[in-house]
Amino acid sequence: MSETPHRTPQEIIDLYRTEFGAGVLDATITERGEGVHKTKAYNIWIRLDKDLLRPAIKKLMDIRFPHFAVIAGSDLGDEIELLYILSIFYGTKFGEYMVTLAIRLKKTDLSVPTITDLIPGALLSEREKQEFLGITVTGIPDGRRLFLPDDFPQGVYPWRKDETGIKPEMVRELWAVNRPRDRPVPPVPEKKPAPEEPAAQGTQKTPGGAAE
Amino acid sequence: MSGDSGKKSIPYTVPIGPVHPALKEPVMFTFQMEGEVVKSVDFAPGNTHRGIEWMGMRRNPVQIVHLTDRICGICGIVHSLSFARAVEQIAEIEVPPRADYIRTIMHELERIQSHLLWAGVAAHELGFDSLFYLAWRVREQSMDLIENITGNRVNYAIVQIGGVRRDISTDQIPLVEQGLAYYRGLLGQMKNVFLNDSTIRMRCRDHGLLSYRDAQLLCTIGPTARASGVAMDVRHDYPYCAYGDLDVHPVLPPQESGGPKGDVYDRIIVRLLEIAQSIDIIQQCLDTMPAGEILWEKKMPKLLMTLKKARGEAIGRVEAPRGECMHYVRMDGNDAPATWKVKASSYSNLMSWIPMLKGEQLADIPIIVASIDPCMSCTDRVAVIQDGSAGFLKKDDLTRLSQKKTLRLMQCR
Amino acid sequence: MKLTKSFNRSLWVFHLNTGSCNGCEIEIVATVTPRYDPERFGMKLVGSPKHADVLLVTGPVTKKMAPRVRRVYEQVPDPKLVMCIGTCGQSGGVFYDSYNLDGPIDQVLPVDVYVPGCPPRPEAIIFGVVKALEKLERLEAAQ
Repeated sequence: MSETPHRTPQEIIDLYRTEFGAGVLDATITERGEGVHKTKAYNIWIRLDKDLLRPAIKKLMDIRFPHFAVIAGSDLGDEIELLYILSIFYGTKFGEYMVTLAIRLKKTDLSVPTITDLIPGALLSEREKQEFLGITVTGIPDGRRLFLPDDFPQGVYPWRKDETGIKPEMVRELWAVNRPRDRPVPPVPEKKPAPEEPAAQGTQKTPGGAAE
Repeated sequence: MSGDSGKKSIPYTVPIGPVHPALKEPVMFTFQMEGEVVKSVDFAPGNTHRGIEWMGMRRNPVQIVHLTDRICGICGIVHSLSFARAVEQIAEIEVPPRADYIRTIMHELERIQSHLLWAGVAAHELGFDSLFYLAWRVREQSMDLIENITGNRVNYAIVQIGGVRRDISTDQIPLVEQGLAYYRGLLGQMKNVFLNDSTIRMRCRDHGLLSYRDAQLLCTIGPTARASGVAMDVRHDYPYCAYGDLDVHPVLPPQESGGPKGDVYDRIIVRLLEIAQSIDIIQQCLDTMPAGEILWEKKMPKLLMTLKKARGEAIGRVEAPRGECMHYVRMDGNDAPATWKVKASSYSNLMSWIPMLKGEQLADIPIIVASIDPCMSCTDRVAVIQDGSAGFLKKDDLTRLSQKKTLRLMQCR
Repeated sequence: MKLTKSFNRSLWVFHLNTGSCNGCEIEIVATVTPRYDPERFGMKLVGSPKHADVLLVTGPVTKKMAPRVRRVYEQVPDPKLVMCIGTCGQSGGVFYDSYNLDGPIDQVLPVDVYVPGCPPRPEAIIFGVVKALEKLERLEAAQ
């Protein structure tokens, strides 16, 4: 099986635009270089129509089999955004790109098809989104709770920012348990006046120091 | 009940856990067994769910860096590094090159101590307790180096957004080089002990197999994937910190030992060779470290103001000793991030337990479960329900089963 | 310091993780390694609560683990001691406000010795065990 050729980030975005046209709502490339030579690493961010999720993942699998990292979810008010974070072209020196496919679901219709038949390793991530954001993944082979305990109240979704999120009475402040409240406040030491600095105010002395 | 108990094996269920080889958490296993052979496995994590991502969405990034230090105690720096890199990309903060090199050195020191920790734990599961003590004694040298540079053995707290908090001074460098020389001298012996020992080969060869295709489909990462032949390494493919200047190749099982087969033995080889690779990387970094500042901004209020104004989203990704560790952060102008998603490296490797454990024996379970390097081997209890009567096997018994198997194999040679 | 009669020169320790980050775990296992070597005091890490004299508990107690912690405590035979290792179990540490934690360990179990630190050094853990032995002596003498 011959390997498909390596592509530049712009070529990948063009492939998506030619195939899906207006379904691609937005596409950007960001890059970051670190170290002395500032070798660049690229990220591709593609925002899609909700129904194009499975065709988009299939398209990525056609380019080369991707590595699926995680699904991130974000509550935007009256929509929930799901970001499928994958990476492509692993194994090539300095040539891997992170591809993020973002879809938005309206809170009135929170269902998204599963991708576990394409990438079985996505199962844990989909189960986690179901219990933390309250979305429904249709066709998931195993929809049980993953991290939350079984007696956690149904209908409470920890990552949501609306009324289904964590309520303040569910939060337990461990530091305040049995804390004595009748102790006097410890005395604050008096501030000594700063010594006169004839030189201009440079950087203050910090613990750790600069390079010798 | 059957008179000829040798012919018919009655299927039964074995639950193990929840306090067990923990990665991020103690994991609850349920095995469907037939005789001595595992038919299928199911696992349920969630026992150490502390709500970290939810807590993070109420704190500012500088406070979150201290929280990320304690997501996992063994992977000391990886979570703080990924998070700090993600926030630096959003706020467009440029990290000084010297700080990148110091981060790389700490990253590799952490890799050395994590692999030695795992080597000891794996030896203990196989019954080699003296090797366990030896490996952890050897590990103390790297803990001394880490303590010398950062001030603590675990939870280094050296990463700050925009750089590192402490510098490596010129009189610390000879100490680091001394430690590296000690490890170089020892590495040949360790390879000899682990790889040429016939018992380890008998226990580990051809057990816990994970094929190349399975490793790709189940999204395995790190040494588990590399042992099956998938050549992925974030330091090589997606450079960060000082790795863009260095020449790092993914370590695959070499041809002398038969090439990548995907069993437990290959995972041992990959980790030992990675220790050798880390020693070389630290030496290169010490030789070529540039001079300069170590922090982008020393004054805390100015840093917090910059972070508060930052908007956008980014991914910070590093190669932890167990695989790829990734943080996704989105900031929208408040103190706290709007979204924060943590993907620890063992999260992706969990699914690989299912094909690995099928068809294996009960006594092999400890070493196979430990071979993907979940964060720690804690206590576990096994309840064996057989023929309607319930008996409790504690961790001692399970480990003793594993150790007895070693003795059996050694005797019938 | 005399060792008490009921322990007969040795103290067997069972370690229980109630949801910690594993930092305290590796320091506890590092304590039994040859550099610190508590076996010269007779301290040994055992694999079952029924063999143990001292229970080392780490971590803030997650909701899932709380009933299991109580069950393990009931299985440790008397006389027993509970040591709380690490700051998470004492005041929550960095996890000071969470929705899935059942509070510091002394809300779930009666604790005798607290060893603070994040994580405490192996020397601190050994010091804690020595304090525990002294406390046992005092309790025996009081009876």
